[in-house]
Amino acid sequence: MNHEAIKELLYKMADDQLILGHRNSEWTGFGPLLEEDIAFSSMAQDKIGHSLALYTILHELGEQDPDTIAFTRNADQFHNTVFTELPNAEYDFSLIRHFLYDTSEALRFEILSQSSFEPLAQLAIKVRGELRYHTMHANTWIKQLGSATEESISKLQKSLEYALPYALGLFEPSLYESKLINEKVFEGEKALEEKWKKKVEEVIAQTQLQLPNWKTLTPHYGGRIGKHSEHLQPLLDEMSEVLRIDPTAEW
Amino acid sequence: MKSLDPRVNRLPLTGNTSPKVLLDQFGTFEVFVQAKAGKPFQHEGVVHAPNLEMSYLLAKETFTRRFTCVSIYVVDTRNVHVSVLTEDEDNAYNHVTEVASSGNKVSFEIFHLFKRGKQHQHAGTVEASNPNEALWLASKQLKTEKQVFNIWAIHTDDIRFTHQDDLDLWHTLPDKKFRDAAAYKGGDKLKSFLEELKK
Repeated sequence: MNHEAIKELLYKMADDQLILGHRNSEWTGFGPLLEEDIAFSSMAQDKIGHSLALYTILHELGEQDPDTIAFTRNADQFHNTVFTELPNAEYDFSLIRHFLYDTSEALRFEILSQSSFEPLAQLAIKVRGELRYHTMHANTWIKQLGSATEESISKLQKSLEYALPYALGLFEPSLYESKLINEKVFEGEKALEEKWKKKVEEVIAQTQLQLPNWKTLTPHYGGRIGKHSEHLQPLLDEMSEVLRIDPTAEW
Repeated sequence: MKSLDPRVNRLPLTGNTSPKVLLDQFGTFEVFVQAKAGKPFQHEGVVHAPNLEMSYLLAKETFTRRFTCVSIYVVDTRNVHVSVLTEDEDNAYNHVTEVASSGNKVSFEIFHLFKRGKQHQHAGTVEASNPNEALWLASKQLKTEKQVFNIWAIHTDDIRFTHQDDLDLWHTLPDKKFRDAAAYKGGDKLKSFLEELKK
């Protein structure tokens, strides 16, 4: 089995989870409702947990230990999409990102539950219930606010249009697509993208939101090969602050 | 007033106040949790939400993010029919009177409060034509030796249950011990810190 190809897949998944988990955790204490604050924080924590599980698989494949991978790399060594590192603005953007990202995440893990790479298949089965809640949460909120008031609909619409090109960056093809597909590790980004579009269309159709024609959108690529926005490094600096002050700290 | 948190930007106080619009807030929904398969559902508290489906979503994390459980359900507070609340040796069922059936029978879930200040527990289901008849039938079918201080009757169709497909929502909870305060081992950390100081 091709380890380079699998590592590439694991790194981009793990980095997406870590960076978005951190971004979403920035809402802790600031959520729009007490109950939603708790729910969004829990899901952010789940994402960090998923990144740990993926970094642990990487460690078993010979990479450094999870904390070293997570906290000591520079921005250009990260493989997350620019989509996940964009700063939070208002809650509408964070909800739209949560919806677009978690839909892709749940589908990716669903595909991976059939993977020939056993550790990933097992992880995919383990986190299925968590992801079911994440997508249930996202879909319910999008349906609620996407049909509620003129203000909520127009805010979500604006965020949706802003977010979509970045979200398409999730499916940036890697150098290893055919290897992963041939070895039955993963169906490939193209197949995932098609499933994702279908699911996004299905949920948006139940709201008063409008999806632009996919053909008019240009995906924002680059994150997978370390080309990031100016927003990633400050996030990494904040995330690794404690470790840099006291490398022996436990928390 | 400026916040110590740089992310908090507060609007300036203008000095103009006006009365708050009455009931300008979400309603409440009652949350019931099943700790283990086969155990009765128990009332755990309320969440605020705009509707039943949203309340289910918010209840799941508010009440089941920490302790292991297998299922939840929610109901609009306005759909909970409540008996009198009794004290000491007085059983709430002493105050339930016979009610004649009045039309089509539907299912009601019955809940008992066994101790003041504790939570209501699911006792069983009765088929009745209205909430008062449900309480009356419960007194015949579900009343036991145990002292009951309060009885709830909820029309089964008003409840948002967990779907069969969604029972895996709580599968990874046993792995989330880190959400317990005890997992931080604060006492141990403090102890080793104080020992470090003595050196």
